[in-house]
Amino acid sequence: MSRRFGLLLSAAAVCAPQLTAQQDVTARLVGRVPPAVAVAVRALADSAAARGLPADPLVDKAIEGGAKGVSPERVVAAVRLVLGELDAAAAAIRIGRVAIPDGETIEAGAFAIATGMTGPQISQLVQLSATPYRPAATLRVAGTLTALGVPAQQTVDLVRQTIRNGRAGADLLALPGRVQSQVARGASPAQAAAGLARATAARGAPPGGPKGNKGQGNPRRP
Amino acid sequence: MTTGYHPLVKRLLDGELALAELPPELQAEGAEALGLLAAMDRRLVTLPPTLDARVMAAVRARAASPSRRMLRWITEPRELHLRVRPWLLGAGLAAAALVVLLGGPVGLSHRRGTLPNVAAASESVFVRFVLYAPGAKQVGLAGTFNQWDQSATPLVRAGNDAVWTVTLALPAGQHQYAFVVDGRRWVTDPAAPAVDDGFGRRNSVIAVGGAAGRVL
Repeated sequence: MSRRFGLLLSAAAVCAPQLTAQQDVTARLVGRVPPAVAVAVRALADSAAARGLPADPLVDKAIEGGAKGVSPERVVAAVRLVLGELDAAAAAIRIGRVAIPDGETIEAGAFAIATGMTGPQISQLVQLSATPYRPAATLRVAGTLTALGVPAQQTVDLVRQTIRNGRAGADLLALPGRVQSQVARGASPAQAAAGLARATAARGAPPGGPKGNKGQGNPRRP
Repeated sequence: MTTGYHPLVKRLLDGELALAELPPELQAEGAEALGLLAAMDRRLVTLPPTLDARVMAAVRARAASPSRRMLRWITEPRELHLRVRPWLLGAGLAAAALVVLLGGPVGLSHRRGTLPNVAAASESVFVRFVLYAPGAKQVGLAGTFNQWDQSATPLVRAGNDAVWTVTLALPAGQHQYAFVVDGRRWVTDPAAPAVDDGFGRRNSVIAVGGAAGRVL
């Protein structure tokens, strides 16, 4: 009797977080999407959670589709696409030698993929992100640069140049704003990025390597 | 009653012309205007000498007591101007860190990780959104930060009728959004990068940094 009770308790302990997550997803979707879409999204969210992927982006996309009055089929298709991007990002990040990527990094990787970056480019960016540069921040910066119109490979090159020669993590975060200001003055995104890369190279690496944001790197494989 | 007199009648009222100098067709109008002017009582009003004292006595009688003034100060809505000073922010963060190190107050429960809500709050950044939308009757801001609810964050007209704006605190992280014009037209922010939304449109993107308050 006590063994059976113990098994039941163990099963409850294993299932409780999953049930809570399911309830969370269901609660967020109520009234925002048709019931059939909610069922499909819940299944996709379960699948994501089982693979260690964040489920929130899927729910967000479904809610966005509902708010924009998109057809149920198209909402589910878009949610599937987001799941695919999360999956691809997680795989690329693991190849980039982050053993257990957190949800924030995976979301940042998926964003970079959505802007047009490839899996190998994501892996390169993660490999570049040694402390003090956080992989999530690097991927967000790269995705934002690509969304601004900087070609993907040029984005990777600019980020690499900045990380190698940058004096602080803030230099990396400032890149999209600098590109935007150059574009506002009439340069194309590619020209703006090339100009920044030249300026960064000319400045050279600071003595003692980059500084700032220490201790925020992700766990890595030994 | 006539509201717009002929210019010549106005000159008559100003004393520049006599009634007889008006053309015949305007003389009736001129006579009416003069009649109305004459009907006005132009005598000076003489105020009684006790009026000042009576008015001030009434004002004092209606003046709120200190406790009522305090209650009004607490309950009445008023405009607040927040100015973040870097040295005060630093001191606040240090105090927050001290609170966390000492175990944290009971009310600061948090769901995940080791960072408390204090840190999350300090990583919010105020962002101002602006849209030039001539002819729009209403503009809303919908995004991942408000569950894509187009009525949750309305923009207000700023001076010029065509410029709409809103300022809101966004938590650190990346957010996608769009403006909704007149409840039906989804418009990307021309001042921000944009990505495909998966539905055939585009979303604007904003990434808000942490303590530095940097907006990517």
